Amino acid sequence: MNDWTIAIIKVVFIWSWTLLIATIMTWVERRGSALIQDRLGPNIAGPFGLFQPLADGIKLFTKEEFAPKHAHKILFTLGPVLFAVQAFSAYAVIPFGDKIVINAKEIVLQVADVNIGFLFVLAVGSLAVYGFVVGGWGSNNKYSLLGGLRATAQLLSYEVPLGLAMLAVCMTYSSFSLREISLDQAGTFLGFLPNWGFFKQPLGFLVFLVAAFAEANRVPFDLPEAESELVAGYHTEYGGMRLGLYLFGEYVNLYTLSALMVTIYFGAWHLPYIDMSAYLSPFAYGIASFVVFFLKCAFFLWLFVWVRWTIPRFRFDQLMGLGWKSLIPLGLLNLFVTAFFIQISL
Amino acid sequence: MAKPIVQRKYTLSERIYLVEIIKGLGLTWKHFIFNFKASLKPGPHTVPTCWQYPWDRREIAPIFRGEHMLSLDDKGREKCIACGMCARICPAQCITVKKGKVKEGEEEKYAGKFYPVSFEIDLLRCIFCGFCEETCPKNAIVLGQGYELAQYESKECVLTKDKLIENYRSALESGNLKPPRKKVPVAGAKEKKPAKSKVQKKTEAQEA
Repeated sequence: MNDWTIAIIKVVFIWSWTLLIATIMTWVERRGSALIQDRLGPNIAGPFGLFQPLADGIKLFTKEEFAPKHAHKILFTLGPVLFAVQAFSAYAVIPFGDKIVINAKEIVLQVADVNIGFLFVLAVGSLAVYGFVVGGWGSNNKYSLLGGLRATAQLLSYEVPLGLAMLAVCMTYSSFSLREISLDQAGTFLGFLPNWGFFKQPLGFLVFLVAAFAEANRVPFDLPEAESELVAGYHTEYGGMRLGLYLFGEYVNLYTLSALMVTIYFGAWHLPYIDMSAYLSPFAYGIASFVVFFLKCAFFLWLFVWVRWTIPRFRFDQLMGLGWKSLIPLGLLNLFVTAFFIQISL
Repeated sequence: MAKPIVQRKYTLSERIYLVEIIKGLGLTWKHFIFNFKASLKPGPHTVPTCWQYPWDRREIAPIFRGEHMLSLDDKGREKCIACGMCARICPAQCITVKKGKVKEGEEEKYAGKFYPVSFEIDLLRCIFCGFCEETCPKNAIVLGQGYELAQYESKECVLTKDKLIENYRSALESGNLKPPRKKVPVAGAKEKKPAKSKVQKKTEAQEA
């Protein structure tokens, strides 16, 4: 196997894996919300209703591709594509495990270990705005446009605290590469804590978590698609697989953000206090690191669902107030505190 | 007068949201765990608030007004005398009765001197008020327990006489016949015990 084959296999694997996770997340969302609200949710199709996403997919694919009469045909089609493409491409620099040895060849479980991984995630993540605003504008519908506008304002504002939190992490590990940051989190911190970003950057993690909720358009910050005000926001006019792309893109974004949080704050594939590579064969270690990483991600994916069905939606001015008046100052404070500790430890 | 609005000062923990959010998460987690455990139990009705309809049905009151039926007396004769009172009182005008005279030799089939040649109820119009049942002098038309009335064709929603009698037979078999109605007290009316109708006796006998 040459490097090209490996790269293509990795790309195809991570693409289908994120798609699978996004599909399963629709089921988790529905079953989870149902159980939280004393209902049962979809439980007929397959065991525990697990084939429900399949049924939904068939429904979305076989629906008519309909565009409103006065919609801008090109932009209307382009919107979901832009959104889905950025959602899938953002995962490229995030690891999904340590490394695996097959036929004496070491394969790093990451599509691209670029030394500016952070900036790539931020840059591609901010392209999501185009998906919202192009779709909202192309629909020729006031609710869609309002949803697109809200998405723009919200995503742009919350990228600042997100970036600030990530910058503090960069300073702590003095690297932009997500793989290096993950490797740095092995061992213990202060002698008794796992050497995870969360214990070094608790405030940064908080800022990142809240901003991540806003970036993913999830309750309590799902104002671009607030159904009680804007029908369905930017995807009001969408149906069929175009809507499917928006919905899939949202869950893929969720997975990307969860993976990012695990990578930089929760020790990536490291278990606390246990060094797996000492006990397992190289091949088994590769699988185990992938599983551990995914389980940590699964917790954050569940957290997104759990919070969604717990708290109500923010008002738009509250959202902006929280972003600009609380999170950005907190992010800056975190940055200064981090810089201070780096200075005194030198 | 409008209620005076009392402004409450939020405490610090309320203003930074996080404590309250964690409390809320605890509450939803409790619900989640309870329902998750319940949903793993075998059987259709495990989550207490959730009726899984086709397998798990709510109990219906015995006086429920559902799909109609035309009852027979204990000799198996049709009770309806085609007087047309049900058709007349029906607010939705969904009942059509055609009257026919009972010929000689057909007395075992019909209880009265007249019988309905055709008796149609348009369920698409019916509002299930139960007036037909109340006004019927022979207790012939009764609203039963059936409520699964969806059909693919609008034609199928018109109940014919055969279907109505069929409904009665199946209700008799499954023991879902309606208990006799309680007498409504009327002020100033003379106290008089009504003669028990045959079907009432029958249902009482069944109950006993």
